Amino acid sequence: MEVISVIPRRLDVINKYKEQGGYVAAVLPIHYPRALLRAFNVLPVEVWGPPRVDTSHGATHLQPYICSIVHNTLSFLQMGGLDITDVIIIPHACDSLQGLGSVLLDFVPPDKPIVPIYLPRGRRESDIVFLTREFYAIYQRLEAITGRAPSDADLMKSIRREEGADEVLIKLHQSHSCLPLTDIAFYRLIRSREYLPAETFIELAQAVLAKDIKKPRDGIPILLSGIVPEPMSLLEAISEMGAMVVADDLACCGRRLYPPGRSGDPLRRMAERIIYAPPDPTRGNPIRERREHLLRLIENSGAKGVVFYDVKFCEPELFDLPTLRCELQKAKVPSVTVEVDINDPLSHQTLTRIEAFLEILNERR
Amino acid sequence: MSVADTLRYHWNVNLLGRAALRWRRWQTELLAKTGSGWRSEILTPPLRISAWTKELVGRHYLQGNFAHLHDKVAWVTSGAPIEFLRALDFYVLYPENHGAICGAARVVVEIASEAENAGYSRDICSYARTDLGTLISGKTPVGKLPKPDLLLACTNICQTVLHWYRVLAHHFEVPLILIDTPFIYTQVSDHALTFVKQQLEEAIPMAEKVAGKSLDQRKLKQITRLSQMATYLWLELLERCKHRPTPISVFDQFTQMAPIVEMRGDAVTVDLYSAMLKEVNDRIAQGIGVVPNEKKRLLWDNLPIWYRMRYLAEFLGRHGIVITASTYTNAWGELADLINPEQPLVSASRTLIHTLLNRGAGDKLATMRRMIDEYNLDGVILHSDRSCKPYSIGQIDQRDRLIREYGVPALLLEADHNDPRSFSEEQVANRLDAFIEMLGV
Ligand code: SF4
Ligand code: SF4
Repeated sequence: MEVISVIPRRLDVINKYKEQGGYVAAVLPIHYPRALLRAFNVLPVEVWGPPRVDTSHGATHLQPYICSIVHNTLSFLQMGGLDITDVIIIPHACDSLQGLGSVLLDFVPPDKPIVPIYLPRGRRESDIVFLTREFYAIYQRLEAITGRAPSDADLMKSIRREEGADEVLIKLHQSHSCLPLTDIAFYRLIRSREYLPAETFIELAQAVLAKDIKKPRDGIPILLSGIVPEPMSLLEAISEMGAMVVADDLACCGRRLYPPGRSGDPLRRMAERIIYAPPDPTRGNPIRERREHLLRLIENSGAKGVVFYDVKFCEPELFDLPTLRCELQKAKVPSVTVEVDINDPLSHQTLTRIEAFLEILNERR
Repeated sequence: MSVADTLRYHWNVNLLGRAALRWRRWQTELLAKTGSGWRSEILTPPLRISAWTKELVGRHYLQGNFAHLHDKVAWVTSGAPIEFLRALDFYVLYPENHGAICGAARVVVEIASEAENAGYSRDICSYARTDLGTLISGKTPVGKLPKPDLLLACTNICQTVLHWYRVLAHHFEVPLILIDTPFIYTQVSDHALTFVKQQLEEAIPMAEKVAGKSLDQRKLKQITRLSQMATYLWLELLERCKHRPTPISVFDQFTQMAPIVEMRGDAVTVDLYSAMLKEVNDRIAQGIGVVPNEKKRLLWDNLPIWYRMRYLAEFLGRHGIVITASTYTNAWGELADLINPEQPLVSASRTLIHTLLNRGAGDKLATMRRMIDEYNLDGVILHSDRSCKPYSIGQIDQRDRLIREYGVPALLLEADHNDPRSFSEEQVANRLDAFIEMLGV
C-alpha cells in the first residue's frame, strides 16, 4: 500500500526536526514520557539495538551473556550511530540496561548528556507519586539542556498530542486483521511511532485507517509476544508460511498502548499513562495480569496460538515464560518459544520451529 | 496453631533437633582440637568456631522444616529488610541462601535441571533455577523448605529477584510485598528515599495482616539494634584481615557469612560473631595466617563460586597467595553506620537503597580501590558471574582501570556462582597460572 512507502525515513525526520531548531534524544527501551520530551522540543528517537551492527565495540565493555539489544546499543553508540542526537535517555527496564547506563555514565561517557529514568515496578499510589517526582527531575534536566521551561499548559498540550497519537495507535492494533496491509507493512507503520513526531504519525495512521476493508485477511491467526520483531523479515516469513499476526504483546508495540491519563497535573498524568499501560514484566506486573491480558487479546483477535519470540539472555521475558505457557495450555491455546540474537539473520532452525508450530495450528483449524 | 502443634514443634526443634545438632558440633570441635579432621597441607584449618556457625545454620533450617507448626513463614530476598518481619515473629527463609547451600553441597545440577526441564532457561540466575527446581521436585539437602505465607522482594540487589518472586507468588498464591529501590546512577534523590520509606510503611500493615498481630515498635527497635551490633561485628571481623598474615581468607568469610544474612537481628548472631572475633584475635596474636608463607594478598569481586571454593583456595595457597577481602562480604558490613535503631524505618530506607548492587559501576570501582589501599592488596580477581548480571556488568572496565590507572594486576575469571556447568577447570587453571605469573610469585 502506498501509504507505507511514504513513511519518512528516520534520518530525514531527524534532520528536518533539527533544521527547525529542535533537539533529538536517543531513547533506549522501553517506557518513557514522550510528551515531556516533546514539550521541550526534543524529538525522541528510539534505539532498539539496532540489529546488524558490528558488536565488537560493545564486546570490549560487556560480557557475552548480556543481551544483544544492550550489546548493539553500545556498539552503535561507539560507532558514531548516535552522534546526530543531543541527549541519551535510558529508561530502567532491566538489570542489563541499568548496567549499560552505569557503564556509560562512569566509564565510556559520550559527548552528550545521559538521562536515566527509574521506572517503579508496581501500580501503587506510591509508584505514581514516585514516577511523577522522577519526571519532575527529568524536567529539570531537560530545562538545563534546552534552556526551555514549558508551562503546565504547554505540557498538557503535548500530552494531548501524544494521547491522540496513542489513540490512533490503539485503533490500528484493533483493526489490524482488517487492514489492507501485510504484517511487515503494518509493523513498519506501527514502529514508525518510534521516531516520528506524533502529529506526523497521526496523519499517516489515519490515512491507513480510512482504508479499513472490514473484512479479515486470510491466514492462520497468531499472537506474537516478546521484545521486538527483529529481524523484521520474520514477519515476511510468517506470511509466507500462511499465517498472520493478528495481535501482539511486544514490548516495542502492544505493551505500549498507553491509555489516556486522568490527572489534571501534567507530570502525574504522564506517570499514570505508563503505570496503567498493558502488563509488562519489565514494569513488574504480576504473571496473573499478563495471563489475563494475553487471553483477552487471543479472544478479541481470534488468534489460534502464541509465538513467544524472545531475545536471548532477556531475564524479564524468560522468567514468566513457563508459567504463561502452562496457563495458556490450560486454556487450550498452543504456544511455541523461539530465542533470537537480534544480530543474527533468521535461522533455519527458527523458521522450522515456527513452521512446525503453524502446521499444528492449521490441523486444529 | 494448636497446643499439639506447638508441642510437636518444640519436641522436634528444641529437644531432639537441638540435641542432635549440639552433638554434631561437639564432635566437630573435638576433631578441630585434635586437628585430625583437616586434610590440607596448604591451608590452615578453618576457625574452630565454624562448628557453632554450622550448628546455627542447621538449626535455622531445622526450624524451617517444622515452621508450619509454630510460625508464619516469609521468604525474602537477601537485601530485604527483615527486622520488621522478625519483630512480627515470622520465620524468615532466604531462598538465595538455600541456593548457596545447594551450591556448596554440589547438588545444583540435579536440582536446577528440574527447573530447566519445566521450561526455565539456563540463562536465568542459577540461584533462581535452584530454588525453582526445589519447588518443582522437593529436592533439597536441608530436608524441606516451608511453604511461605508471605513473600518479600527488594530490588536493591537486582530486578531478577522480582521476576523470580512473581513466579513464587503465582505458584503459592500468597501476597508479595515489593520494596522497590530506585538504582543510584550518580547520587540518591530525595524522592527515591521517600519512595522507599513509603513502601516500608505500606509493607507493615500487609505483614501484620498475614502475621495476625500488630508490630511492637519496641521489639522492632531492639531487633534493629541487634542487627546493627551484628553488622558492626561482621565488619570488624573483616577488618581484622588488614593484618599480615591474613587470619581468615575470603573463603572463610563466605562460609561464616550465613548468620549475618539470615539471622540478622538474633541475639545469638551477636554472640557468635563476638566469639569469632576473639578467635580471630587469637590467631593474629599467634601470627597464624591462612597460608603458611603469605606472599600476595588479593581482592575478590562478586559472588563466590560455591562449588569450587576449596579448589581455588588451595590453588592459590600453593603459591602463597591468599584472597584477603571481597566486595561481596564487605557489602554485609559497610553500611553499619547507616543503621539507626531509634529510627528503624528511616534508617532502613537509607541502608536499603545504598547497597553495593544498587550503586553504579564507578562507585564499585571506588570501593575496590579503597579496599586495595586499606587491606594492602596486590591484585584483584573479578569473578565474571554469568548468572549475576547486575554484579558483573562494568567489570571489564573496572579491570581495565585497575590495571591502567591504578597499576594493580586484575583478572576477569569467567564462571557462575552456583552452576558448575559454566566452570571450566582447565580454562580457570590456565588463567590463574598466567595471573600468578603476572603477580611475580
Ligand atoms: S531484551 Fe530484555 S534484557 Fe535486553 S534490554 Fe530488553 S528487557 Fe533488557
Ligand atoms: S541475579 Fe545476582 S543478585 Fe540477583 S539473585 Fe541472582 S545472584 Fe543474586
